[in-house]
Amino acid sequence: MRWLTLYARSRRMPTALAVSTGGAAALWTLWSVCSDARDVGVPMVILTVLLMVAAVTVTLAGPDDALERTAALPWPPRRAAHLLAALAVLLVVLLATLLTGARFGPAGLVIRDAAGLLGLTALGAAAIGAARSWFLPLGWTLAAMVYPLPDRVWGQILTWQSQPPANRPAAATAAVLAVAGLVAYAVTGPARTSSAEPPP
Amino acid sequence: MTRILRTELRRSAAAGAALILLVIGAALLYAAPQRWSASWMQLVMMQREYLVLLWPVALAAGAWQARREHRWKVAELFASTARPPAQRMVPTLGALAIAVVVAYVAVVAVAVPHLIGTAGYLPAAAFAVAGVGGLSLVAAAWLGLAVGRLVPSPVTAPGLAVAGIGLLMLIPVPNRHREWLTMVFSPMWGMGQYTDYQTVAGRVSAAQAVWLAALAVTGAVLLGSRVRWRALVAALTPVVLGAALAIAIVPRGDDFVAHPVDPVAQALVCAAGSPRVCVSRVHAGLLNEVTPLARQALAMLARLPDPPVAAHEDTTTYYPDTSPPLRADTILISVSVDADGHLAHPAEVVPRMVFAAGVDLRGCNRNWSMPVAIAVGAWLMGREPVAVPGDPAEVQAEALDLWTGLRRLPEPEALARVAAVRRAGLACEDVGGLLTRAAP
Repeated sequence: MRWLTLYARSRRMPTALAVSTGGAAALWTLWSVCSDARDVGVPMVILTVLLMVAAVTVTLAGPDDALERTAALPWPPRRAAHLLAALAVLLVVLLATLLTGARFGPAGLVIRDAAGLLGLTALGAAAIGAARSWFLPLGWTLAAMVYPLPDRVWGQILTWQSQPPANRPAAATAAVLAVAGLVAYAVTGPARTSSAEPPP
Repeated sequence: MTRILRTELRRSAAAGAALILLVIGAALLYAAPQRWSASWMQLVMMQREYLVLLWPVALAAGAWQARREHRWKVAELFASTARPPAQRMVPTLGALAIAVVVAYVAVVAVAVPHLIGTAGYLPAAAFAVAGVGGLSLVAAAWLGLAVGRLVPSPVTAPGLAVAGIGLLMLIPVPNRHREWLTMVFSPMWGMGQYTDYQTVAGRVSAAQAVWLAALAVTGAVLLGSRVRWRALVAALTPVVLGAALAIAIVPRGDDFVAHPVDPVAQALVCAAGSPRVCVSRVHAGLLNEVTPLARQALAMLARLPDPPVAAHEDTTTYYPDTSPPLRADTILISVSVDADGHLAHPAEVVPRMVFAAGVDLRGCNRNWSMPVAIAVGAWLMGREPVAVPGDPAEVQAEALDLWTGLRRLPEPEALARVAAVRRAGLACEDVGGLLTRAAP
């Protein structure tokens, strides 16, 4: 328990949790006040998922990775558990809104985008460092949201974030990204070149 | 100062931000070249629409840059230095501004090879539209810097980008019946293309420039001031003033036209020689492609008595409603541009011109019979009627029957009947039985 508390603090989990749930709560309030419809618009759902995933990036690296690596601990299962816990938090918060007056749904889309984007972010953290890991998910998702390509299969793969939840190529893309991110981050950890908070 | 600026350009996020903006902008442009292949004005307007992605990215770039000072934990050291904070901020602001403007211009430069051969008309308004676009990126980057300094968290940059795109998408919602207000505050609004003659009113561009400049100044002031609430309120004055001034400048009510047409772009430019063939100035680069086709069709029609003697581009627009007059001696041809900047569907120009023996059916739709129009066109071209996708099969079959009937007649008699169809068409009379009456 003590290890968990210290780990959570070193990874700035309270901040991440506050920002992601706070952001979701703000958007939930915004929709409840401004719209009569119960189902939140799909662009807003995608933006909410994106915002929450971006908040999680803070936790993907600690203040001193080199020191962390020297610890005689089996890191891979812990890193995997970290990502899965982040996904669980995201999904619990967003799917809980399905019971309220402003529903962030459909569930299939939320699960696909949260898993895929988290995987893509983890992949980025393993490749270019946690601090820059949100670049690609953010740019890709904004583009896919504004200009979805629903007609051809390659378009569905390229803009998987904004496809309808039943779309198979989009779901497959998200699954590949999620698994690749999980494996890459669990095995290698955050890239050594730069952590979220480089030492002074 | 120049030396510091140069260092800042190399060491800050400026270069990376410029590269990202350039890649996104160029990718968006080349993903759909048919949207801007007609003219320079279309190119700069399309680029403004793509600000929907570029603007949030510039915001995030500013916020990302602002984290540097916080990351290296030097704020206290700098605060203890006996120098005004502005002196340290100016190179950062300058480097980011240069980077985003260079990236914006570079995106246009990437599109130049695609247009240089075909597009000619370059109105002053195009520079205003592009200038406002560049200014909007500067405002976004500086605002991002200021917000990034006020909220120094790793989540600020991505959060600001999400907020930025959310803002751009939400601005039109409360202003649904006041589009002029949306035009002022959203740099990407109103850039959709409905005709190739479209432009942006000068007063709208001026209002946008005022608002965006005010936003940029606010960002700079926020960055240079100490974090105290009085300073923050003071920094908000330019925003309020800028918004008020911009709203005063922008045309509203009946003066506001959502998609204005540039009359100079719409004016006709004619080819040398006769018969006369003219296209709009914005399509002047296509004149060499249109002229031989149009003259070929006019030559086919010349066999008729009282034939059309000129072909003009059909410059009709619907919002606002402008249309050239319909005249018996002039055929209106629609000219559209394909993704490569050349004349789209060149094979259809001649059939469309000889269709209905050169009579414009919009004058009187009521009495027209499609099979007759198709059959006389095919007879004038001397070839079998070609099935148009979308036309009902019975229309095609009847046209083929009429055409076969015309071919069986002696040449002067067939010509007389086609001429009768043209006369009746111009006079808005019934053309139904003119081709099938009994041979004399």
